Amino acid sequence: MEVVGLHPVDIVIIGVYMVGTLLLGLYCTRYVGNAEDFFVAGKALPFWAIGFSIVVSDIGATDFVAVAGAAYRNGVSAANFDWMGSMPAMVIAAFLFVPYFWRSGVFTIPEFLGRRYNSAVQFLNALIWVVFLFMMLAVMQWLTADKLMFTVLGWNKYVALWVVAAVTGIYTFSGGLTAVVFTDVVQLVVMYVGGFGLLALSLWEVGGWSALQSKILAMGPEYQDHFKLLLPHNTTGPFPWTGIVFGLGLVLAVAYMSGNQVIVQRTLGARTEWDAKGGMLFGGFMKSMIPLMVALPGLCALVLVPALGPEEADRAVPEMIRIMLPAGLRGLMFAALFAALMSSISGALNSVATMFLTDIVGQVRKWAKRAPLSERMGLHVGRAMTAFLIISSAVFAEPIGNQEQLYVYIQTLLSFFQGPVLAILLLGIIWPRATGYGGLAGLVLGVASAFVLNYTPGLFPQKDPFLFMAWWSFVFALIVVVIVSLLTKREPAEKLRGLVWSSVVLDEEAQKALGERISS
Amino acid sequence: MTEETPKIFQISHNILVHVFGPMNDFLGGLPEWVASVFGVGLFVMAMVWVGVFLKKDYVNHGRPYKSIWTDLRLWTCLSMMPHVIVYLYFR
Repeated sequence: MEVVGLHPVDIVIIGVYMVGTLLLGLYCTRYVGNAEDFFVAGKALPFWAIGFSIVVSDIGATDFVAVAGAAYRNGVSAANFDWMGSMPAMVIAAFLFVPYFWRSGVFTIPEFLGRRYNSAVQFLNALIWVVFLFMMLAVMQWLTADKLMFTVLGWNKYVALWVVAAVTGIYTFSGGLTAVVFTDVVQLVVMYVGGFGLLALSLWEVGGWSALQSKILAMGPEYQDHFKLLLPHNTTGPFPWTGIVFGLGLVLAVAYMSGNQVIVQRTLGARTEWDAKGGMLFGGFMKSMIPLMVALPGLCALVLVPALGPEEADRAVPEMIRIMLPAGLRGLMFAALFAALMSSISGALNSVATMFLTDIVGQVRKWAKRAPLSERMGLHVGRAMTAFLIISSAVFAEPIGNQEQLYVYIQTLLSFFQGPVLAILLLGIIWPRATGYGGLAGLVLGVASAFVLNYTPGLFPQKDPFLFMAWWSFVFALIVVVIVSLLTKREPAEKLRGLVWSSVVLDEEAQKALGERISS
Repeated sequence: MTEETPKIFQISHNILVHVFGPMNDFLGGLPEWVASVFGVGLFVMAMVWVGVFLKKDYVNHGRPYKSIWTDLRLWTCLSMMPHVIVYLYFR
C-alpha cells in the first residue's frame, strides 16, 4: 500500500493537537482531591459534557476504519450499529437503568449488582469487564500503531504505540474522569470537523447523493442491497434484520449502554439526575450522526476506489484520506483519528481502574476482613492502576490486537457476556423476587450458553452469529434467573429498598431516603 | 460441521438444530415489510414508553427549571424522529 506522506503543516496540526490535549488534561488535575473526584468527577458534570463524552468514548479509530470497510462490503446496513444500536438503547438506559445507578450513589455497575445480588456477582462481573476492557485497550493501541500509523504513514509502529500510550496515560493518570470528559469535548469537535470534511469532499467528488446511489446500484446484482438497512434473515452477510433488531437493538446495545462502565461512569458523574438522563439522550442524538462520518465515506470509496475489493475494504478510509484531502485537512483528519483513539483509551483506562479498585480490591479486602481503603489511598491506588494498565496493555498490544477480522473479533467477545449481564441487571431492577443465587446462576450459565452457541456449527445462516448468540444467551439467562430465584429464599425487603423499580418509583419513604443520600 | 468439530459441539449441534432449524426456515420466509415494522416499531415503542407510560415527574426529576425545552419527553421524540425517517427511507 502506498504511504500517504504528511506535509509539514499536517505534522504541526497533529503535534499541536496532541500537546494541547495533554495540557488540557493536566490542567484538570487541580479539580482532583479525592477518589470521588478522580472516578466520578465530583458529581459535577453537566448534560452536554456527558453527552459529548459518551459519543467520543464510544467511537474509536476502530469505527473509522472498520465501519467504513463494512459499509464498503455490505452497504448502509453497517450503520445499524450507530442507529438501531444506539438511540432506543440509550432511551432505555436513561429512564430505566441510570436513575437507579445514580440514586444509589455507586461508583460502578458491578458495585450496584453487589448491593442488589451478592459480592460473588459483583466480583465476577467486574472481572469479566476488566479483562474485556484490558483486551480492548490492547486492540485499540495496536490498531492505531499498526493499521494507521505504520501502514498509512510509514511510521515505526512501536514508537507510535508508545507515544499514544504516553500522552493518553499521562492525562488520564493526572486528571481522572474530569480530564477524560473535558478532553473528550475538544476531541469531539476535532472528530466532527475532520469526519464531515471527508464526507463533504467525498460526496462532491462522486457527484452528490443521487449519483452515488445510481453508480453503486449500476455496479451489479450483488450491490442491490447496499441501500437497505434491514436485510433478510437468511442473508449471507453478517447483519440480518432479525439479528439487528433482537440481538443488537434489544440486547447488545441495551447491555452496552446500561452495563458498560465506560458509558455509565459519565452519567454517575452528573450534577443532577436530570443531567444524567439528558446527557444520555443528547449523546444518542449526537451519536446518530456518526454513520454519516464513518459509513458514507465507505460507500463513496466503492465508487472512487473500486479496485480495493471486499478483501481490502478496511483500507477505504485511509485510501480516501490519501487521494481526497489536501495538506492541512489531512493533518486535521489524522488528528480526528487520534482523537477517536485517545478518547476511547482514556475512557477505558479510567473505568478499568475504577472497577479494579472498587470491585476487585474492595471485595478482596472485604473477604479478608480488612478495612476499606481511605479516600487518599484510593486515589493513589487508582492512579497506580491507571499507569500499570496503560503500560501492560501497550506491552501486550501486538499479541492481543493482531487479529485478521478485528470488528467481528470485538463483537464476538462482547456477545459472550452482554446477554447474561443484561438479564441480571434487568431482573434485578424490575423483579424484586430475583435473588443472589438466581443472579449468580444466570450470569455463569448464561455465559456458558453463549460459548455453546458460538462454537456449535451450523445453527444460524451466518458464519459469525454473534448477534444471535447475544439474544439467545440473554433469553437463557433470564429463564435461569427466574427458575433459580423461585427455588431460593426471597431477599429481605430492607435490602431491596432503593434498588428496585417499585421502591424507587412508588415508595415515598425510599425516595426521601435516597434524596437525603444524594444531597449529603 | 466437520470431523474436527469437538464431540461436545457435535452433540449440541444434534440437539439445537431441531430448535433453530425450523426457526430459521420460518424467519427466512417472512416478507421484507415485516423487518421494517419491527425496526421502526422499536423506535416508536420507545417514544410511546417515555411519552405515555412513564410519569412526567419521574422523567424530568431534577430538571433545572420548568420549561418545554427542559422536558426530556420532547428530547426523546426529537432525537428519535430522525431515526424513524432514516429507517423508512432506507427500505
